[in-house]
Amino acid sequence: MTAVAERPSAASAVKRPEPPKPPLANYLGLVVIAMAAFAFFWWTREDTSVLFLPLGFITLWAPQWPLIGFLTMLAVLALCWFTRTSPMAAFGALSVVVFSYWAGSNIYFIDRIIDVPSRLTGGNTRDQLIGYFNPDWSYLLFSNVAGTSRPIWGEWLITLCMAVVATIIGCFIGLLLAMLASPVSSFNKATSQTVKAVNSVVRSIPDVGWALLFAAFIGGTAYGLGALAAVLALIMFNIGIVAKLLGESIDAVNPGPLEAADATGANLLQRDRVAVLPAVMPSFVSYSLYVFELNIRASAALGVVGVAGIGGELSRQIGRMSQGYENVGAILWALVLVVLLVDLLSMWIRRKLL
Amino acid sequence: MITFENVDVVYPNGFKGLDNINLNITKGEFVAIIGLSGAGKSTLIRAVNGLVPYTGGTLTVGETVVDPRNKSKLRKLRARVGMIFQQFNNVGRISVLNNVLIGRSAFTSTWRSLIGWYGAEDKEVAFQSLERVGIVDKAYNRASALSGGQQQRVAIARVLAQDPEVILADEPVASLDPPTARKVLGDLRRIQQDLGITCIVNMHHLDLARDYADRIIGMRAGKVVFDGPTGEAIDAVIEDVYQRSLTAEDIATVNVPVSLEDIPAEAEAEAVAAGEPDGNS
Repeated sequence: MTAVAERPSAASAVKRPEPPKPPLANYLGLVVIAMAAFAFFWWTREDTSVLFLPLGFITLWAPQWPLIGFLTMLAVLALCWFTRTSPMAAFGALSVVVFSYWAGSNIYFIDRIIDVPSRLTGGNTRDQLIGYFNPDWSYLLFSNVAGTSRPIWGEWLITLCMAVVATIIGCFIGLLLAMLASPVSSFNKATSQTVKAVNSVVRSIPDVGWALLFAAFIGGTAYGLGALAAVLALIMFNIGIVAKLLGESIDAVNPGPLEAADATGANLLQRDRVAVLPAVMPSFVSYSLYVFELNIRASAALGVVGVAGIGGELSRQIGRMSQGYENVGAILWALVLVVLLVDLLSMWIRRKLL
Repeated sequence: MITFENVDVVYPNGFKGLDNINLNITKGEFVAIIGLSGAGKSTLIRAVNGLVPYTGGTLTVGETVVDPRNKSKLRKLRARVGMIFQQFNNVGRISVLNNVLIGRSAFTSTWRSLIGWYGAEDKEVAFQSLERVGIVDKAYNRASALSGGQQQRVAIARVLAQDPEVILADEPVASLDPPTARKVLGDLRRIQQDLGITCIVNMHHLDLARDYADRIIGMRAGKVVFDGPTGEAIDAVIEDVYQRSLTAEDIATVNVPVSLEDIPAEAEAEAVAAGEPDGNS
């Protein structure tokens, strides 16, 4: 502080500028937007949900949430005004309030979440929590899958193998698609746009959706074909992620070396190989490791649709209702541990490679 | 060797990059192009190998008419015309040798490039190029680990690996410190004379152009405003190209201090004081 004060003031001919005041007209416009939103929420409110404000001489009653929502909007605008936020940022803040109110009220989010504590004290939510926090480790380590002679830990191995196969195949195809999808490395605009469109279709179907589709195509859930359906689903899932993320990395690649490769008379494939691929290799390795992690997690979720691996066992145990809570807990805790280990491993590999 | 006949370049946004250029550059010439930023120096150079397509007139390299629309003919032309860039444009993550081998792309089949398996002759050419620029000992180092001057030498080696008839250089030494700039430009000049390569070089530094070039071309607003042997490029002519009087920086002599001890203390203080009014220049 003293250091700043003791400095001789430099030529103070030019006055330091004040932070500019945002234009009032824009803020009034924002208030109009808030009022419009309020009018809309008032119009679409549920008649039964009202708030009485008995003020003695008069009883003010207003729909419960719209008024609070409106006051919140005004408060946000006032805060923005006093902190001299630019109108655009204030508009952003207002939009967050309006949209969170609109979306939340449509699914009765506040009403439902208020119920949660009462559910915790009674019913089987409590039993479930107790079960999850007292996992049955002996089940995980020594039991067999119900009705068979296969040990539970074998399911983990299958999950891991599914993830490895899916990662290798999915990332390789994803790399090729990313090359075709980015206008930087693709043959022409048309190819790039087409591949991007196909890729968004692949990505729009979730992994569980792909698993359901493949399980239905191939048939058979338990072993062999069940694992195949899961692997195919994971491959589609990985292609979507890698092609999207890596495509964007390729878009951002330094154009200089590409121009140099062009200037030597290299053709497109040679240019992609010698200039683009080395530049995006670190991203590719990093995304592949990330996708491997996702695959371990996703294969647990895929079990819900009846494919093989630890996910299948998890969904069987959840299906047993009140008898399976300790087992479910054991699987979930082990899943946390496995994902953590995979995360550490991939971090270590990334550090070694890059 | 290189002939411009009424060459125009109009960019898609309507900006006229080159305006009716007529030039004839003979084999083995070392031509420096000078001019302010935006004068069309880079456009002129890039028109030669089709990186910027020209929109009017005729541009010939050797016997070949440059046709920016015909991709395969353009690739054949580019194989004969090497290019060096201000930012070196090496691929940082691969070895120096592999960077030089990029120059062999036009002579290598696509599948060989894809699996990264270059033939013995290609490697021999690459090593000879590295020997010519004097960094053969760095062949297996990562390109990004090299200093600026070494990186530009890698770029020159990459171009030499093409066995080019013409070398285009777009501000080749603008990113280097003055002593290194002189060394790299000296190497380029020597190699160009040894191999009889035609060389077109863009430059900011008038003193470098005067010291190394056979011929100087001055450009302003897309037009050639001066064209003559280096001896004729007297200060008055250059002032006409630049449209301002020359400053001490433009005509700096060879006496560039190499280490800090060479700079006298007062001179340093003066430089600081002089630098203050227009600190951004």
